Amino acid sequence: MRRISLRSLALPGALVAAIVLLAIAAPLLPLPDPVRQDVANRLARPSLMHWLGQDEYGRDVLSRIVWGARVSLSVAFAAALMAAAVGTLAGILGGYFRGMVELVTVRVAEVVLCFPPLLLALLVVTLMGPGAGTLVFSLAILFAPGFARVAYAETLSARALDYVTAQEALGARTGRILFRTLLPNIAPPLIVQFSLTVASAMVLESGLSFLGLGVVPPSPSWGLMIRGARASMEQAPLLLFWPCLALTGTVLVLNLFCDRLRDVLDPRGKAAGRPGFLRRLVALPPAAARPASVTPGLLAMEGLTLEVPSPAGPVQVVRDVSFQLAPGETLAIVGESGSGKTLTGLAVMGLLPAAVRPTAGRILFTGRDGQVVDLLRLPEPEMRRLRGRDLAMIFQDPSSSLNPLVRIGTQVAESLRAHGTTRGTRERVVALLRQVGLPDPERAADAYPHEVSGGQRQRVMIAAAIANHPRLLLADEPTTALDVTVQAQILALLAELKRAEGAMGMVFITHNLAVVNKIADRVLVMYAGEVVEEGPVAEIFAAPRHPYTRALIASMPEGDAERLTAIPGAVPQPWAMPVGCRFAPRCDAAAEACHATAPVLEDVSPGRRARCLRWKEMA
Amino acid sequence: MLAFAARRLAVSLGLVWVVASLVFLVIHLIPGDPAELLLSQGGIAPDPAAVEDLRERLGLNQPLWTQYVAYMGGLLQGDFGLSLQDEHPIGEEIALRLPRTLELVGAAGVISLLFGLPLGVLAALRAGGMLDRALSAWAGLALSIPVFVVGTLTVLVLAQELRLVSAGGYVPLARDPARHLALLLMPAGTIAVGLGAVVFRVTRTAVLEVLERDHVRAAQARGVAPRTIIRRHVVRNALTPVVTVVALHLGSLLGGTVLVEFVFNWPGLSGYLVRAVEARDYPEVMGIVLVISALFVLLNFLVDLLYAVIDPRVRHG
Repeated sequence: MRRISLRSLALPGALVAAIVLLAIAAPLLPLPDPVRQDVANRLARPSLMHWLGQDEYGRDVLSRIVWGARVSLSVAFAAALMAAAVGTLAGILGGYFRGMVELVTVRVAEVVLCFPPLLLALLVVTLMGPGAGTLVFSLAILFAPGFARVAYAETLSARALDYVTAQEALGARTGRILFRTLLPNIAPPLIVQFSLTVASAMVLESGLSFLGLGVVPPSPSWGLMIRGARASMEQAPLLLFWPCLALTGTVLVLNLFCDRLRDVLDPRGKAAGRPGFLRRLVALPPAAARPASVTPGLLAMEGLTLEVPSPAGPVQVVRDVSFQLAPGETLAIVGESGSGKTLTGLAVMGLLPAAVRPTAGRILFTGRDGQVVDLLRLPEPEMRRLRGRDLAMIFQDPSSSLNPLVRIGTQVAESLRAHGTTRGTRERVVALLRQVGLPDPERAADAYPHEVSGGQRQRVMIAAAIANHPRLLLADEPTTALDVTVQAQILALLAELKRAEGAMGMVFITHNLAVVNKIADRVLVMYAGEVVEEGPVAEIFAAPRHPYTRALIASMPEGDAERLTAIPGAVPQPWAMPVGCRFAPRCDAAAEACHATAPVLEDVSPGRRARCLRWKEMA
Repeated sequence: MLAFAARRLAVSLGLVWVVASLVFLVIHLIPGDPAELLLSQGGIAPDPAAVEDLRERLGLNQPLWTQYVAYMGGLLQGDFGLSLQDEHPIGEEIALRLPRTLELVGAAGVISLLFGLPLGVLAALRAGGMLDRALSAWAGLALSIPVFVVGTLTVLVLAQELRLVSAGGYVPLARDPARHLALLLMPAGTIAVGLGAVVFRVTRTAVLEVLERDHVRAAQARGVAPRTIIRRHVVRNALTPVVTVVALHLGSLLGGTVLVEFVFNWPGLSGYLVRAVEARDYPEVMGIVLVISALFVLLNFLVDLLYAVIDPRVRHG
């Protein structure tokens, strides 16, 4: 990644270097004197002697452009250097010492930022009179606060870091800490700021010169050249064109250089992009035959495999996951973070992140009309008709899953409106909010999400999910983000809804086995993207056949657990999967063979499966 | 909402007072006598008697706090003092020119939003695609052309070569609405080239960020149509940073239309400021800077109100 960015820096970097070199070498080049007038040949067309022609005083245009680069660049660089020195010092001191120092450095800088920049420059010019010196000084005042702000913010975050506190503890002198330790570490954003400043300074310098308040004639400056050429625009329009081109081209190259430099030095701000938002990437071609021959119950997932791209090629994050769900049944999918349980749920909804692609499998779903469809191959418009009607989902964090800017009632009503309800929506919304146990549902409908508690927000999400009596409700860790007491209430609500909606199937995704015990009929244990055990809840709890399930149960405290912490080690990363059993490195029952052979999912007893070479010994 | 607005207004008025005091102090406390500076030309020392006369006229001989009270008292009655050049009341000139500048800045803002916002949303929704890359490249170019270059080239092409419009100027709306609009569109469009690119970039980044948020996925899970999701759950949430940036730019345009007003001969406040700077007319410069700064503060006040309109959390916070 870094290498690619560096290469992208090469072209704009070379162009910037070329412009700077040209400006430096101006006195050595065989150019005519840029200020020597030749009034007899004023506005002369391009000739062998004067490649770009002569201006309104007969001066050589090419020479003035090259020399103008020298003036513009030196003013811009000098101003940027001054601003960088003053601003960075103020920012570092303010960020490191805080208190009074912060007040007189950073806060004062922010006052300067309150003035429109050109206005401030004009004010300085009023006080000091035009000229290159004034120009550098006023531009430095303008741009120093920018540096101060960047340096201040970076210092604030860097001063708490270990290597700084370590130096303080070692008794290093403050000056040493500031300039030997802190400064190099906050340099990258400052370098970006510097190149940005050079570009802005050039624009402002040329603007002020254009107004006649910057560089003083007859010194060549691009702004002055444009000013001069305006008068003779009718006779010699090209005279206007050359300095405009030089100025715009230089600023463009500098800006391009800044953008690339920022990507290399400061990659945090780089936006990733999500191209698949509107078009679901149906990665699988439609199946040859309609899958109606199977009787899938409500939902039958067959061999779902999901891949994400990585530098070393595609990586499987979910492999060969299969399960079935009957109407009215509740299946719990259990696993640690990274087990692939959430992706499995999102695959059912057709809401996988753009980077994740299904590569194999089927997700057969029986709709309201009894038709069986493969959700993995359903075109997006048809999929959308199912979402929120036949298929509904509740997410982990109700605070971020509700749009903070839209009233609660409107968001619940969306479920209804998206699927054809046009009349009596308001009454339905209030009834739904009452059904999920919101106090004062009339008022709650008009409230914004931030006006109700976290538990109530999850109730709102549930109300929106059950609005159209879905056949399948997916709940992805619906209680994880809530307080323990509220968790119990939400679980009770879900259990109650299940009773009320007899035929609704539910897939309950969680890492919390204690919850599973309360709500599910069957449980599917996932580990590192694979199903490792499946069976009825009571049987699994009584006699787990997989060491991982056994460890999960053992790590379950008497009360409600927040996290499963007792199993040593962590889930292996998708690109570094063990050759044999994926759980073997963390398994206390692992034998020699476990590290060599990957176990298959075997039928253990009717309705029970396990993926372990030694499942017989686990009984 | 009302309490919120009242609180913000109080803070804003306080800020205007601070700015007015600051402008007063900067002019009076910097080394060098304004009267002497004003009268000295080309390094020739001015006549001491003339300097003394001018000091007397400007009230510079009185103690600083007396001058301060007098100045502030004048401001409260809308009295900005008299121009040094022609003894014309500064307040009147500002009242004449300010609406023209506001009209120009407002028109530029509207044009920028009209094309920057939809294009930004479009580019974000097709991030990485051909359209996105083409639009982003255009924005990079538009941001690199200094505004006076755009203006000068516009005059060159539209007025000189094609002779579609006159090279600039100003006609009051009441006298000839069509011509007024044509003359307004050139400078406003010139500003909008860069400003629109800014709006485009901010919108694109903000929309991309909002698209990643959970509530968008939750809305998808409800089966909401993409069009509704974009309008209600994406663009609305992306508006806050756009408003911030546009307001910031409009604010700096209040004093920054100098170049465009110069190129198109638009008789706004900026031209007045340049003239005042060239003549070193201190009372004029002070008055204009003060008005622009006060407008800047007012703009920030309006932006705060706008935040509250967009985001209910701000209203109640």
